[in-house]
Amino acid sequence: MAARRNNPSGIVPTIQNIVSTVDLDCVLDLNHIALHSRNSEYFPKRFSAVIMRIKDPKTTALIFASGKMVCTGAKTEAQSKLAARKFARIIQKLGFPAKFRDFRIQNIVASCDVQFTIRLEKFACTSHGAFSTYEPELFPGLIYRMKQPKLVLLIFVSGNVVIAGAKKRDDFYTAFDNIYPVLAEFKK
Amino acid sequence: MGDAYCSDCKRQTEVVFDHSAGDTVCSECGLVLESHSIDETSEWRTFANESADNDPVRVGGPTNPLLADGGLSTVIAKPNGASGEFLSSSLGRWQNRGSNPDRGLILAFKTIATMSDRLGLVATIKDRANEIYKRVEDQKSSRGRNQDALLAACLYIACRQEDKPRTVKEICSVANGATKKEIGRAKEYIVKQLGLETGQSVEMGTIHAGDFMRRFCSNLGMNNQAVKAAQEAVQKSEEFDIRRSPISIAAAVIYIITQLSEEKKPSLKDISGATGVAEGTIRNSYKDLYPHVLKIIPSWFAKEEDLKNLCSP
Repeated sequence: MAARRNNPSGIVPTIQNIVSTVDLDCVLDLNHIALHSRNSEYFPKRFSAVIMRIKDPKTTALIFASGKMVCTGAKTEAQSKLAARKFARIIQKLGFPAKFRDFRIQNIVASCDVQFTIRLEKFACTSHGAFSTYEPELFPGLIYRMKQPKLVLLIFVSGNVVIAGAKKRDDFYTAFDNIYPVLAEFKK
Repeated sequence: MGDAYCSDCKRQTEVVFDHSAGDTVCSECGLVLESHSIDETSEWRTFANESADNDPVRVGGPTNPLLADGGLSTVIAKPNGASGEFLSSSLGRWQNRGSNPDRGLILAFKTIATMSDRLGLVATIKDRANEIYKRVEDQKSSRGRNQDALLAACLYIACRQEDKPRTVKEICSVANGATKKEIGRAKEYIVKQLGLETGQSVEMGTIHAGDFMRRFCSNLGMNNQAVKAAQEAVQKSEEFDIRRSPISIAAAVIYIITQLSEEKKPSLKDISGATGVAEGTIRNSYKDLYPHVLKIIPSWFAKEEDLKNLCSP
C-alpha cells in the first residue's frame, strides 16, 4: 500500500491504533481459556470476556464466550490481521475449533502535527461551527465531526490533530487533506 | 332597553332587561324571552390607589404557553385544621390522582426556578431554560437520563444563549448532585437534540474570560479601577499563546491585579472560592502569564517597578 503524499504540506498522519473484530465461529469456554493460558485475565464479575495479550505484535484481544473477538493495539492493518490470526491460533491450540471469519477493521485512530498553533475560538465561530464543539471548560480540544468521510477529529491549540473513526486508511488521508487548509486559515 | 323579536306579538317589540332576575321581557305582552342571563361585567370594583398585593382585576397566575392547557388550574385546597372533614380532603385526593399531563413539566420548571433563584438569574434566562427543557422533553428519548443533570444543563445553555455565561462549576453548585461530567454530557445531548429538531440552529458562542470578569471581581469586592484593569488585561491576554482554560486565565489575572493594588489583597484561597478554580491551577496559570505580564497589565494601572515587585512564580 503506497503512502499518499498529495498534501502540499507533506505531513502524513501516523496510525496509532487499529481496532478490529473477527468471528471465531465456535462457542468458547472462557474459564478453560483463562486457566490454560498464561497471558490472559478473566474476571466475570467485572467484564464477561477474557482479556488476552501477546507480545508480537503488541496487541490485546477481548475474547467473548460467543466466539467473537475484538483485537486492539496494532499499528498497521496487516499487523492487526496477523495478531488476530495469532489469537485464533492460541484458541485453536487450546482445543476449540476456531475459524477466521469476517475479519473487519472497525476503527483506525491516527494523529499528526500541523506544526503551527491554531486559534480554536475563531474556528468554532465560523461556518465550520456547525460541525465543531469547543468547550474549553470541558475539554481543551475542539471536536470536529466531519460528515464526509464520517469521522471525528480532535484539534488542539498546539497543532496536534487526532483523527478517529476511520474504517480505511484512505478515509483519514482524505480527512486530513480536507482539514489542513482550514486549519491554515486559523493559524495563530 | 332594546328591541327584539317577540314570538307572541310576532314583530319587533321593545324589550326590557330586568337585572335582578336576569330576564329579558317583552314590554307589550310580558313574555319572558330569555332568563338567567349571565352578567359579564366586572365582578368587583378596583381602585388605583389600593394595595398592589392582590390586584383584583386579574384572576389566577400568568398563562404559561409551555404548559398543555396554558396553566389553568383549579385545585381543591386542603382546609386548615379541618382534616377530619371527609368530603373536602378526599375530593382533594381524587383530583390530584387524576391524570395530569404536565406534572413532570411543572416539577421540572419548579426545580429550574429554584436553581436560577440561587444563582440570582433574571426571569429571561429562567424562561429560556424552561423552553429548552420543554423542547427536549417533547422528544421522548430523554427518559433514562439523570433529571438533575438535564435541568442543570438546560440552565447552563440558557445562560450561554443570553450571553451571560455561567461556569459549569457555578451551575454544579446549585444543581443537587449533578457532577461537572454529567452536566457536560447532558449539555452535549441537549445540543444534539435541539439540532435534530430544528436543523442546526443552536447558536452558542465560545466562552471568554471577559464574560466572567465582572462577576468574579464583584464577588471579591475589588474596586472599579481594578475591575477595569482586569477586563483590559484579559482582552490583551487573548493575543498570547496561553494554553489554559479561560476561567483559569481569568483567575490568574485577578490574582495579579489584586497583588498590584494597594488595598487588602485576597489570598489564593479567596480567589479560588470566588472563581471555582483550584489554587494549584491559579499558580500554574500565573506561571504561564508571568512572562507576558508587562504587556497584559495596562500601564495606567501599575508601573513597571510594581510589576517587577510581583513575586516570581
